Amino acid sequence: MKSNRLILIMTALIAGIAVGLTYGWVIDPVDFFDLTPDTLRADYKADYVLMVAEAFRFNPDPGLAARQLAIFGSQSPSAIAASGLEYARTNGFDDSDIALMQELVTALQAWSGLP
Amino acid sequence: MKRIPWDILLALLAGLGLGLVYSWVISPTRIIDSEPLALRAGFKDDYRSAIAAAYAGTGNLARAQSRLALLGDPDPIEALNAQAQRMLASGEFQQADHMVALASALESGTTANTQPSPLTQIVSVASGISTATLPPIQTDIPFLFTETPQLIQTQPVIIESTPRPTRTPVPTLGAPFALTGQETTCDTNLPDGLLQVLVLNSNRRQLAGVEIRITWDAGEEQFFTGLKPELGNGYADFMMSSNTTYSVQLGLGSDVASGLTAPVCQTPSGDTFTGGIKLTFQQPD
Repeated sequence: MKSNRLILIMTALIAGIAVGLTYGWVIDPVDFFDLTPDTLRADYKADYVLMVAEAFRFNPDPGLAARQLAIFGSQSPSAIAASGLEYARTNGFDDSDIALMQELVTALQAWSGLP
Repeated sequence: MKRIPWDILLALLAGLGLGLVYSWVISPTRIIDSEPLALRAGFKDDYRSAIAAAYAGTGNLARAQSRLALLGDPDPIEALNAQAQRMLASGEFQQADHMVALASALESGTTANTQPSPLTQIVSVASGISTATLPPIQTDIPFLFTETPQLIQTQPVIIESTPRPTRTPVPTLGAPFALTGQETTCDTNLPDGLLQVLVLNSNRRQLAGVEIRITWDAGEEQFFTGLKPELGNGYADFMMSSNTTYSVQLGLGSDVASGLTAPVCQTPSGDTFTGGIKLTFQQPD
């Protein structure tokens, strides 16, 4: 009788944990603000790279472009730009936009000495 | 009558509590795939700056508008102008010019002749997604930019015809600021000797980019409002040293707050610490 009670209590505890986790992770997860750019969705990242590429066409300063891309953190600017270019290629960006991004990638690779 | 199984209910509630603590505090949902709207203010500035620089490069206003919409500014023009002033204050003149050019283009309403950007579609789709619920990557919504590169050739005209912004409230000559508030702040949460300055226009709207001159026996310094936008566009602060007397003025003709020294404050437990001063300047009606 006593062991049955213990089993019931443990079951209730586990059920409570399960409900709590479901509520906290799925139903009402923590709201996040003040995020960093590395959390941006891939299409926004690619669009940001495109923005930098558009600006680079007007002002071909690889140092400035690298600083603009540095907001994404750990990767090198040329790798960030290359990731954006890759996304653009596989997601139907306009050819002219891809060309701009390619130009940026090439310039950044030359600037940083990376292949 | 059946007895209420308190022990089981208690175990259930304890489990619920544990689950919530784990999911909200210990291991909250990992954020990926967020939107620009959720970025920290400083990164939003970077994003806005990139939008303006890209607009300077392409002259594509529809695309710039779509991108600005992603940041969720209540008034994008005002946000651009305020940032431009902060950039001017920090010596970033070219970027400030880009911001002003974009703000002016938006303000002049030249959007009537432009095609809506495909990004707008992405905005409308993405806006229905909570950043905290880990939306899947929407690979089925590609960017479908159709603009032709000819627009790039029009850029010099747009840049050269950059008008100054008109909507951002800026102090005007002939309307000197009046010192409308001076109070001592004894808050242990604030840094010691913090001099806070708040600058308002006649409508009590905060003004960014206003130069503040502070002088003391051994020197003087200038600083500007709006460099800490998270505290308000019209906010600026300065760290005072103990035993130094300061005077603060906003510009020629404005009231002077003189004889300012960091006050000595006391905590409830009797300890003393250096407090601060808060000044409010406002343009008269």
